[in-house]
Amino acid sequence: MSTFSFSLQSPTRFGPRLGSVVLKRPSIDIEIATPGLLATTSRGAVPHLSRDHVRISDAIRWVNVSFETFLEHNPPIPTLQALQPGTSSASNPLHTFLGFTPNKHIVSMSARDPHDGRDMPPNGNAHVSVQSLRGVRKLSPTDWRSYVQACQPDIVFALSDTPFTDPQYSQKRLTKSIERSAAWLSSLLNLKSPPPPPKTSTKKVVNNTSSNVDTLIPTNTRIPPVFLHLAGIASPGARKAFSDSLLEPLSGPEAEALLPLSKLDDGVAGYTIDLVPLKSSVEATSTGVESQIVPLLVTSLSALPIPKPRLITATQSPHEILRYIGSVGVDLFDAGWVQKAADYGVALDFEFPVRRTSGLREIGHNLYDVRYRMDFGALADALRGTLSPQEDIEDKPVCPCAACSPVSPSTRIFHGHDTPLVSGEEEQSSPRHLPHYTRAYIHHLLHTHEMSAHALLVLHNLAVLDAFFAGVRGVIKDGEARWEEEVGRFGEVYDARLGVVEEARERWREVDLARGKGRLARERSKQVDVGAEAVVGVEVRIEV
Amino acid sequence: MQFQVIAKCNTTRARVSRMTLAHGVTMLPTFMPVATQAAIKGLTANQMQALGVTLILNNTYHLNLRPGLEVLNQAGGAHKFQGWDRNLLTDSGGFQLVSLSKFTTITEEGALFASPFTGEPTMLTPEESISIQHIIGADIIMQLDDVVSSLTTGPRVEEAMNRSVRWLDRCIAQHEKSGTKSTQNLFAIVQGGLDSVLRDRCLDAMIARRNGVAGYAIGGLSGGEEKDVFWRVIKQCCDKLPEERPRYSMGIGFAEDLLVCVALGVDMADCVFPTRTARFGVALTHDGPLNLKLSKHAKEFQSIDESCPCPTCTDKTSRAMLHHIVTHETAGAHALTLHNVVFQAQVMGRAREAIIAGTFPDYLKQFFARYFGDAGYPEWCVNALRSVGVDLLEGTPAAKIVSGNGAKWEYAAINPQ
Repeated sequence: MSTFSFSLQSPTRFGPRLGSVVLKRPSIDIEIATPGLLATTSRGAVPHLSRDHVRISDAIRWVNVSFETFLEHNPPIPTLQALQPGTSSASNPLHTFLGFTPNKHIVSMSARDPHDGRDMPPNGNAHVSVQSLRGVRKLSPTDWRSYVQACQPDIVFALSDTPFTDPQYSQKRLTKSIERSAAWLSSLLNLKSPPPPPKTSTKKVVNNTSSNVDTLIPTNTRIPPVFLHLAGIASPGARKAFSDSLLEPLSGPEAEALLPLSKLDDGVAGYTIDLVPLKSSVEATSTGVESQIVPLLVTSLSALPIPKPRLITATQSPHEILRYIGSVGVDLFDAGWVQKAADYGVALDFEFPVRRTSGLREIGHNLYDVRYRMDFGALADALRGTLSPQEDIEDKPVCPCAACSPVSPSTRIFHGHDTPLVSGEEEQSSPRHLPHYTRAYIHHLLHTHEMSAHALLVLHNLAVLDAFFAGVRGVIKDGEARWEEEVGRFGEVYDARLGVVEEARERWREVDLARGKGRLARERSKQVDVGAEAVVGVEVRIEV
Repeated sequence: MQFQVIAKCNTTRARVSRMTLAHGVTMLPTFMPVATQAAIKGLTANQMQALGVTLILNNTYHLNLRPGLEVLNQAGGAHKFQGWDRNLLTDSGGFQLVSLSKFTTITEEGALFASPFTGEPTMLTPEESISIQHIIGADIIMQLDDVVSSLTTGPRVEEAMNRSVRWLDRCIAQHEKSGTKSTQNLFAIVQGGLDSVLRDRCLDAMIARRNGVAGYAIGGLSGGEEKDVFWRVIKQCCDKLPEERPRYSMGIGFAEDLLVCVALGVDMADCVFPTRTARFGVALTHDGPLNLKLSKHAKEFQSIDESCPCPTCTDKTSRAMLHHIVTHETAGAHALTLHNVVFQAQVMGRAREAIIAGTFPDYLKQFFARYFGDAGYPEWCVNALRSVGVDLLEGTPAAKIVSGNGAKWEYAAINPQ
């Protein structure tokens, strides 16, 4: 059993705030200073990282798992983990299944991937439309609760009725959206309603360890701390109404069912804001996107209690992050954009506060670019590797990532008659620092489509973002004047247009398309070879 | 190079040796994972080292194209470039010229091929191949050989064999004057196709040049030839090659192939198979390959192999989780690559232990019984091991035997769901 808490150093409603998330476990407390980051996952894994790499990344302390990919099976496979010998729902079955370390990682669970803005079929009164590899699935609030109970993440995101249909939502749709979102929160918190009936399909999935269908009903009825999406999309009226509904005293049967809560908000541990649907509906109504969003968030938060953490998903740049810290007081940010930048071959290179102020700079390096072919430097200019050459050190902070500051493994596996005793080699000494991986090496790996490039870049980019947040917290500590000054300076030094990420993304797409064409061309020539006239089918590309 | 045979099997031709190179000791027999483009697919050099791998392979043909010699030179060689400070072997590029380029023409001077980037005619001579490998800086470098497909017959095979011998002389000469002999070791590649007379002539000629070479590779195999022919060629070569030189069988990676080769006297082998098959979702185990793409694994919560020391298995990564991510997430490929590299190392490590302990024939029997189980032993393995005094069928006369290649694979149809 663990307990979640959040504390603020001073009760700031809107504006930069320092705080800390603490998850107390029986063995250890995990603390995340805020503003801070959480990593995103794809199919339950941090993209490109093996489990050992996840563990050596100090930046990864909180990961969010979007559960929809597991809905390919019914019941979802992770919900069966608690039934396995050696695990129980009292331990951390979701950690166990996905390979996260309870002593190091906070794992939260959301139904949908907050970065997925594709059009979806409408939600219903009792279901959210979610996306799985085998197509769209309907997820009901009662199923969601049972999955959460079986998986026992550290934090759960309540289902939200966020439309992913064509924007320009009617008044009626908005009303429905906030009513459903509140009702689904209520049903997540309601532990007194009967557990959902076992699925008919569960009979065939019961595995060899248990033949009893009843055991599929989670024995642990605990609901982890709930984070709630602030509903209302782009309508200030709807957003205010939704926040108000959280603060209304509960009455009638709902009040009884939710005892001891006196209002819905009592059951909420934190608030989330998904930018993807918000941006697309703001875009549909006007041009100045970001200046529209801040007032909307302010509307949502103006009556809600101050000391609850605010988590925003799908920001796209450090500039955007600074804006939400400065004018709203957002505490937690997902790192999806820096992880994505690693896909494109971008090594991030920015710092806050800015120490060197010459000219306008990009926030990173597109390592695909031929200019890095012979560049044997570490990935960032703003940070150095532990063993970087002396003249390069200045007062630069160290980038602790496995690309800039690799550390030799402390142990190795022996396979048979190869120990130091036999080989005569020296025993492995304690771990030592090794030279950084160079830009030239990663440039080479990118051009040869080697996956190792992305592993190193993800580790690096997360470390850069983590260092950025540490810098942010340091500046907030120094007071408002310093904050304003440093944010201003950051905006002057780093190009907010993100040309480098954009360009890398374009190049990445080109490479991807060219590869597709190559395959098609090969297939075509193969068909010519065999004299067939069959048409090459349309290739569906999946973004990896 | 220091090469020291420290134990021999009393029954088979298997042996354990200690090979000391400029980047440390590698115990033989060993399997070498392939890092074609200066990276084991998806992993870092540190991860490979933690897996207990002490010798990997880079491909000269690929590194010469990208990143190119200018970059490698500037970086201080391939070891530094990829952050790998253990032993490294490079091939000569001859095989890729034939397998990757349609337009390669072999002349006495060298291999003429169309540059894959510019299309310009480019000549790779034996001297050049060695010079390139000097810049790459691997601990073991290979001669440029005239490679023909193992299915080729007729005078071309003899021509290629003779030319490989002549090219070996040119490679030795080039290597002698390089000044890198103390850190780099040249291996000859025995050719001669599937013809035992040609193989014999090639062996004689190359053994005569033993003072110029640190070890011998057996080339021209693993190209789709009959397995029953394959092992006979390996045996012929191993029987004749000098005791005091390591023997390297090129392009061998299936567990049964490895163990048969070890029993016949092979010390080293390489193949992309274990890392490639990992990316397709297949985990190698002592009970045979496990195709984790198959839906029958979707609800299995046990690890791939509970006794496996690899990071994926010691972390108890379930087959269900692997099924969920393999071929969708690169992290799935990484998990299986880590496992398969360790599996190969374990197969060879256990062979070393058994040879030292004098129980190698028992190890072979146990391995084959468990690996093939009810699927039946490949007939060629039975034949090959009988030739060195091990009868897999001893005590189990009713055991099933399958002819042909008999490689074991987990197909969807075996267990439809």
